[in-house]
Amino acid sequence: MAFQFEPSVVIDTIPLLMRGLKLTILITVGGLFFGFLLGALAGLMKISRSFIARKTAGIYIECIRGTPMLVQAMFLYFGVPMAIGMRIHPLVAGIIVIAVNSGAYIAEIVRGAIQSINVGQTEAGRSIGLTRFQTMRYVIWPQAFKRMIPPLGNQFIISLKDTSLLMVIGVGELLRTGQEIVAVNFRAFEVYLAVAIVYLAMTLSIAKGLRILEHRLHMRTQR
Amino acid sequence: MIRIENLHKRFGALEVLKGVDLHVKPGEVVCIIGPSGSGKSTVLRCINRLEEPTSGKIVVDGHDVMDPATNINAIRSETGMVFQQFNLFPHMSVLDNVTLGPIKVRGVKRAEAETLGRELLAKVGLADKAPKFPDQLSGGQKQRVAIARSLALKPKAILFDEPTSALDPELVGEVLEVMKRLAREGMTMVVVTHEMGFAKEVADRVIFIDQGRIQEEGPPREFFSNPKHPRLRDFLGKVFSHE
Ligand SMILES: Nc1ncnc2c1ncn2[C@@H]1O[C@H](COP(=O)(O)OP(=O)(O)OP(=O)(O)O)[C@@H](O)[C@H]1O
Ligand SMILES: [Mg+2]
Repeated sequence: MAFQFEPSVVIDTIPLLMRGLKLTILITVGGLFFGFLLGALAGLMKISRSFIARKTAGIYIECIRGTPMLVQAMFLYFGVPMAIGMRIHPLVAGIIVIAVNSGAYIAEIVRGAIQSINVGQTEAGRSIGLTRFQTMRYVIWPQAFKRMIPPLGNQFIISLKDTSLLMVIGVGELLRTGQEIVAVNFRAFEVYLAVAIVYLAMTLSIAKGLRILEHRLHMRTQR
Repeated sequence: MIRIENLHKRFGALEVLKGVDLHVKPGEVVCIIGPSGSGKSTVLRCINRLEEPTSGKIVVDGHDVMDPATNINAIRSETGMVFQQFNLFPHMSVLDNVTLGPIKVRGVKRAEAETLGRELLAKVGLADKAPKFPDQLSGGQKQRVAIARSLALKPKAILFDEPTSALDPELVGEVLEVMKRLAREGMTMVVVTHEMGFAKEVADRVIFIDQGRIQEEGPPREFFSNPKHPRLRDFLGKVFSHE
């Protein structure tokens, strides 16, 4: 029984993957939305004047970055329900995992971008009487945000790929959809190739979109 | 207007200011000169508490700057500051740079702030640059926008920290011109500068800081023609031999 590559199976599989793709996109976008809020908060805490805030954010970032996302997902989905006596919907768990995980990396992106802005900007803002908050809001953040875009785009791509790990907690995302198809037709080569092609198409389009966005921002105002 | 008494400032083990006393009267123009690292910027930055004084007393317009009950943001909005590196907000148009303070600090309506902003830009000779961004301006133009930005708060005094030191020589004049006009209009000014010509012509009083202390002060004529302190003589000798 020699292996025979069937390109048509690849083509036919792609439409069947769309249901999983939708979930993958939903989890990525939803997870990153909350991940950004969490990351912005933790990033700002990391540079705040309060020791407690700095430490809290530091512990969160260290714990998340120091453990595999697969472990975080299994802990949340299988472990936490034991403690709280309540099941968590796989989709909800998936979004939480992506949010909490990406948040730790985004925190460092936010912190780095803010700290890269010349302190003269803060001093100029404070010298005209803006409060600390106003200086952050109107002077530092807009400049820092522009610098966050490339690394955030990178995180977008990483998180998108990471959603595939969520198949272990039963989220019917892209990879799991592919696995289910293989279970029926046994064409692992063609189906996983199709899955890879779909991931690649998405990451390449995100990268392309980012380049266009960066270029636009650069055109509008320099520096 | 500004009263500094026995101001000390240390950065860790380094004692930068070792007891500085300085009174600036309303409408007075005080120029501060001195060698690099002598603490000139530190004095200015303590006045609006961009730097936290170690000890001493600073009173601005009757408000104790170091009293925790004092609203430091209010004091900062009453004392403009112009930096060597301009520090314009690069993501905002020139006009927005000028109107940010009035709108956010004073609560002025945008339309009103823009009218004021355009007036001030006209005053510094940049009426046509309102919609431009800072990186489209020359150094001299940037610094004039920075002056307009601090004027927009209608401050009682303006602190200048080497406002022309980052400029190409041919652009220094246009900035000094604006500063001279402010001085004539009665603005209280404290100017850290290496422009001895400006100090001679505009200052009511010149101050020489060295080694963390005011070593000599006086009206410019006397100060420059008859320097008493040997370090000042030395310093002036070096400065003028470069000109
Ligand atoms: N944030 C800081 N931390 C540590 N040391 C500092 C800090 N700011 C200034 N200093 C030191 O304090 C001294 C005085 O600095 P300051 O900037 O007031 O000097 P200056 O007279 O303005 O000099 P220049 O003409 O070079 O601007 C210098 O030795 C400087 O290195
Ligand atoms: Mg200085």
